[in-house]
Amino acid sequence: MTRLARFERAVLPYLDAAYNLARWLTRNDQDAQDVVQEAMLRALRYFDSLRDADARGWLLAIVRNTGYTWLEKNRPAELLAYDEASANVEESAALWGAADSNPEVIVLQSAQRKLVAQALEELPLAFREMIVLRELEDLSYKDIARIAGVPIGTVMSRLARGREILRRTLESRMRKAS
Amino acid sequence: MSPKNESPAEPIVARDAPYYTAPPGLSERVRARLATEALRDRDPSRWQPYAIAASLLLVSLVSWNAALWHERSSVDASALDEAVDAHVRSLATPARLTDVVSSDQHTVKPWFIGKVDLAPPVTDFASAGFALAGGRLDYLEGRPAAALVYRHNAHVVNVFISSLRERGESAPVVSTRKGYAVARWRGGGLAFEAVGDISTTDMGVLVELMRKAPS
Repeated sequence: MTRLARFERAVLPYLDAAYNLARWLTRNDQDAQDVVQEAMLRALRYFDSLRDADARGWLLAIVRNTGYTWLEKNRPAELLAYDEASANVEESAALWGAADSNPEVIVLQSAQRKLVAQALEELPLAFREMIVLRELEDLSYKDIARIAGVPIGTVMSRLARGREILRRTLESRMRKAS
Repeated sequence: MSPKNESPAEPIVARDAPYYTAPPGLSERVRARLATEALRDRDPSRWQPYAIAASLLLVSLVSWNAALWHERSSVDASALDEAVDAHVRSLATPARLTDVVSSDQHTVKPWFIGKVDLAPPVTDFASAGFALAGGRLDYLEGRPAAALVYRHNAHVVNVFISSLRERGESAPVVSTRKGYAVARWRGGGLAFEAVGDISTTDMGVLVELMRKAPS
């Protein structure tokens, strides 16, 4: 089997996962497609570094890196917001426990898809990517930490803070809607 | 991937958000670009339009290579000089010393994914006096290299790892250069250059730890 054929067999099954992450990072279909194409080329170039590692996590790490490079070039303002967000999150780790098993959450699970999607899109990048990887991609904290290159504690605190912001946004919107 | 089971009571707020699947045609476009990219390295006819430019380049390359051939013995020396310079640069800008700050090899190793064309062996040797402080992307001889940062007491050691074009092993050589202890060795398709203001004995210890560590 050629190198390309091996690559396609190992990596292309995760095209949807790659696109979903790129779509949530860029919040735009065409930009997401550009990021995916670029990420796939990079992935082919670095295919030898995959070895026996998990191909989905490996690919998502490359998509994320490519997405950040793209944002740096095209929408640097979003990355500034990212710095402020990450500066504040470390202290919010305490929210992790507070947000657990909140009955309101169950109500929110049935919220309209459109409201949820909109609120998630508005979430600052650093929190948005954590929630996408965790709740849409079903990854473990450990895998997310590897993909994003941050400690597991940071993954947990950003997830907690992201969920808290999302929950508040949804609550206030649903109150307005009803 | 392990299933998501860290916290059964974890609140779920975004399950109703859409999972965007790849739009129609993206798979075909990706395949087409991958095929083009794969051909680029193999198909010589692709380069025919550039033949004239290439032959001009060849002249300069041949003379450059000839010069290199004569200076073969100093190639290792210049690589070590570059490693020492990169080490000094990294100390001059503490913020740039570690792009990924972690003593956890499982955080540092994957950080390099998609940034360099190799998977560097990353092990923390804190119990032996060399604590992993993190890593960053650096450049040696114009090529990206993975730089691992170790702390030995108050001293910083940079280990630069780059991929070798041809496979080959070479035993470590420890020496000093511009007042720094330096070491250079090759193994497993990788070239290693270590630099630090530590004693050559300590450098020898780190080299042995790295060579014995599983990759």
